[in-house]
Amino acid sequence: MAKETVEFTVNGKGVSLEVEPGEMLVDVLRERLGLTGTKAGCREGECGVCSVIMNGALVAACLMPIKKAQGTAILTIEGLEANGELDSVQKRFIEHGAVQCGFCTPAMVLAGKALLDKNPRPTREEIQLAISGILCRCTGYQKIIKAIDAASQSGTRGEA
Amino acid sequence: MQFSGNVAYTKQREWEQYLMPKTLSEALTLLSDYKGEARIIAGGTDLVVQGRGGTVKAKVLVDITRIPGLDHIILDNETIRIGCLVTHTLIAESSLIREKAAALCEGASKLGSPQIRNVGTVAGNIANAQPGADTTIPLLALGASIKVVSREGERVIPLTELFTGVGTTSIDSTREIVTEVTFPAPGDNEASAALRLAKRKALVLPILTVAVAVRADLKKGIFTSARIAVGPVAATPLRCEAAEGVLSGSPISDEVIKRAAAAAAGASNPRTSLIRGTREYRQAMVAVLVERAVKSALTRVEGKNG
Repeated sequence: MAKETVEFTVNGKGVSLEVEPGEMLVDVLRERLGLTGTKAGCREGECGVCSVIMNGALVAACLMPIKKAQGTAILTIEGLEANGELDSVQKRFIEHGAVQCGFCTPAMVLAGKALLDKNPRPTREEIQLAISGILCRCTGYQKIIKAIDAASQSGTRGEA
Repeated sequence: MQFSGNVAYTKQREWEQYLMPKTLSEALTLLSDYKGEARIIAGGTDLVVQGRGGTVKAKVLVDITRIPGLDHIILDNETIRIGCLVTHTLIAESSLIREKAAALCEGASKLGSPQIRNVGTVAGNIANAQPGADTTIPLLALGASIKVVSREGERVIPLTELFTGVGTTSIDSTREIVTEVTFPAPGDNEASAALRLAKRKALVLPILTVAVAVRADLKKGIFTSARIAVGPVAATPLRCEAAEGVLSGSPISDEVIKRAAAAAAGASNPRTSLIRGTREYRQAMVAVLVERAVKSALTRVEGKNG
């Protein structure tokens, strides 16, 4: 099996890797780049905890053959913090207690971020739709929705 | 004792090569060169999952998503043309599709999840050939066809002639590529609607999905013609011609709509399933959904002529 080179950016930094054609993005992020904020759950696109933002769109990293990453810009949860400060979606999650066990949290925060980047003032229904591809077994979703809503009103780089 | 039971999964997938051609002719040549061992991948949301269970055996994947010129949604001489790389998200957000083919917009916006809609394609949803596919059912009601190319040329296959069984079609996936989905642009006296019955609102396969396209002469108060599609109620996505016949040429009335809905339920042959409910329940719901979808499409025709 011939190794091939794949180049893309993760959280703004260029990455060039020798990959096997059968590798999936979720494993490359976690095991080769050490970005374990992206979780591996069902590996079938059902649970959504592997979600990352690729070229501005939320995608399931478990369904993404690594070669599809070629030339793309990927944002993971580790890339949201800027200059030592959390993104406003992250801050609102903390304030609203939108985190329990934490396993879905990186995906939920990124879903909120992907939504607000396109639609800074979403309705509650639009927020529900944006997180509808991610399962949370703890929170009952209400605090997650409230946190994203709060982040939307203050803008994605708002005050704490 | 050494563990020798089922291994849940291997992280590394089975394909040995993953190729990304830049042109359609390059992709067709690759299919030909690998003599049946290569498969086309676009969004991959079905194929990647199927590969893990071992149902799809492919040594080589040919990824067509970097081929330019295949992601159009256009109105071209009264025909709507959708390129094979158009995702469900692009369909759901297209103002042309929303205006001309609301049923397709409704089907695409309910498929899977945002993550799946962002990468999965309509052409892939058709080629995967599931009898309740969320975009296939509306496209059947819209009278759609697909264009398939090979090194020998191209052919157009109406969806009514495409499906040969659960998950199978008359496309030869070892040498053909679906390049486009087309359907006649509905006129001012036509409109469509799609409805879905499912246990949840997200990430769940439908118990039933129904789509209806009606053409009506509002001055005369009659249905001119209709197409009705239902799934999953048979091995292939089902067009209910008997129900369409009830509407065509009949006066617009609740009684006629109910008779058409009953005919659609009669043509449906759903199975009792632990996930989808009993045969009797599902047949009864076909009638309910067809009735509601016909009324919704009719309201849209009236809206266009209001």
